[in-house]
Amino acid sequence: MTNNKIYILGERALVLEITQSNLSQYQQNKLFALHAWMREQKVFIDIVPAKTTITGYLMHSQDPEYWLDKMQDAWQNIEPESFEPTVHTILTHYGKHYGPDLQSVASLTGLSQSQIVELHSQCSYQVKFLGFLPGFAYLGDLHPQLHLPRLESPRTHVPKGSVAIAQDLTAVYPSESPGGWRLIGHTDTVLFNHNLDSPSILQPGDVVKFLPSTEGIC
Amino acid sequence: MLTILKSGIQTCIQDLGRMGFRHLGVSQSGVLDQLAAKSANILLSNPKDTPVIEITVGLCQFKFNKPTNFAITGADLCAKLSGQALITGWRYHANEGDILTFATSKTGLRAYFAIQNGFSSLPSVMNSCSTDIQAGFGGLSGKALSDGDELDYAANSVLSSIGAALPEYTDTIRVIAGPHIDLLAKDKQQSVFEKSWQVLPQSNRMGVRLSSEIDLAHDLSIASQGVCPGTIQLPPNGEPIVLLNDCQTTGGYPIIGQVIEADLRLLSQLSAGQTCNFVAVDRAQALEATTQQLQHLAQLEIAVQHHNKKNT
Repeated sequence: MTNNKIYILGERALVLEITQSNLSQYQQNKLFALHAWMREQKVFIDIVPAKTTITGYLMHSQDPEYWLDKMQDAWQNIEPESFEPTVHTILTHYGKHYGPDLQSVASLTGLSQSQIVELHSQCSYQVKFLGFLPGFAYLGDLHPQLHLPRLESPRTHVPKGSVAIAQDLTAVYPSESPGGWRLIGHTDTVLFNHNLDSPSILQPGDVVKFLPSTEGIC
Repeated sequence: MLTILKSGIQTCIQDLGRMGFRHLGVSQSGVLDQLAAKSANILLSNPKDTPVIEITVGLCQFKFNKPTNFAITGADLCAKLSGQALITGWRYHANEGDILTFATSKTGLRAYFAIQNGFSSLPSVMNSCSTDIQAGFGGLSGKALSDGDELDYAANSVLSSIGAALPEYTDTIRVIAGPHIDLLAKDKQQSVFEKSWQVLPQSNRMGVRLSSEIDLAHDLSIASQGVCPGTIQLPPNGEPIVLLNDCQTTGGYPIIGQVIEADLRLLSQLSAGQTCNFVAVDRAQALEATTQQLQHLAQLEIAVQHHNKKNT
């Protein structure tokens, strides 16, 4: 059993919050299974998972209490195994001009550049949620040896496709934007195309693997 | 064609917003003053979600290259058609060559300009024509309109003028308390609803930033969660941000309240330096306010249909 809070925000946003700072894989998958359940109800305009919450925006504001109860019931009864993620492999060029911060990450962590590439690319990540920019997926969990704070002064221009790390997360910038994450590589994979019916390749809950390109540092 | 002779501060194409893509980090966008934009479309017998031009501050100029009917609603930005003063909330006819200008106003911030049958050939991005300026898509090539831009529309014959009385803009904004207001001390919670708030110049379509004499600075942190237009966030500096349509989809500041949907239009009209007050309401009152606005629009629709029949 997990502790959770459930409440209505404003007129029609239903929020389920798991009251702990980090979710276990079990809880995380349960949250994504709930996301799928919520989509099937066809009463929400939008459903937004975040780190420890999921928010559903109802189409109509008439009966939020009824749906809040249904959501609570669903959460109690849902099986995390019902969630089956899609797996993506992202070919990544690490280091050099592709990842201008790889060298400083190496000196800050006391690792070699190739060890960083290995630690970053050896494990699978899950899309915890998307936000900040269209298609910007927060991927966790990063290997503990790679945990570093964001840059003290953010860059005004981070190139599209930059593979970056910050704290316990990694991400790929889907478009050019300002940003404070540390850039360790680059991919040519297009993550977001606003002209497509399904504009984002990465969906909440998907699994991502980074595949080091032979071009680059190793 | 409608030629944008002077584009002003931030003139952009908006409809009722982009829904269903928030989980991918896509903002809602869309008109900030929905009641005004829907009224403009109703005056022209357009579907209510027809894209309109949202004008912020004013100082812009448009040229009609074909005859058509148009409506202006929202704040009174002293619009003129080829020199003749227009009344906000009315439908007018423009001849080929007519020039529509918007000056500026001390009392309101945003006006809406709609034309009969809407603009043709605007691309739909994720089911919406709204301009998302941050992300760079929607509207006309993902940007605010600029001098020399052209928008296509079909010519229309003269419709007689008709006006709509819209509910006034007030500075009292109804708010439903948010999940984290209890984290503040009791007296501070009260002061949120007792003091008046001044709009800061950094406000934009992403959010209205407010300040007051109360010190609400804090060091509380919450895990980022879903936020939407109307969410009142309290950053550590204690100056609340009321999120508007271009806000991000998640936010990590404590949520002290949610402005009711019916009153978001009031916030959208506040310029820097103006003040507002928050009053606490419950969900039933919020629903009642929304119902009233829907009834208002329904009545306007009937009145316009009746007027059009009588005059044809």
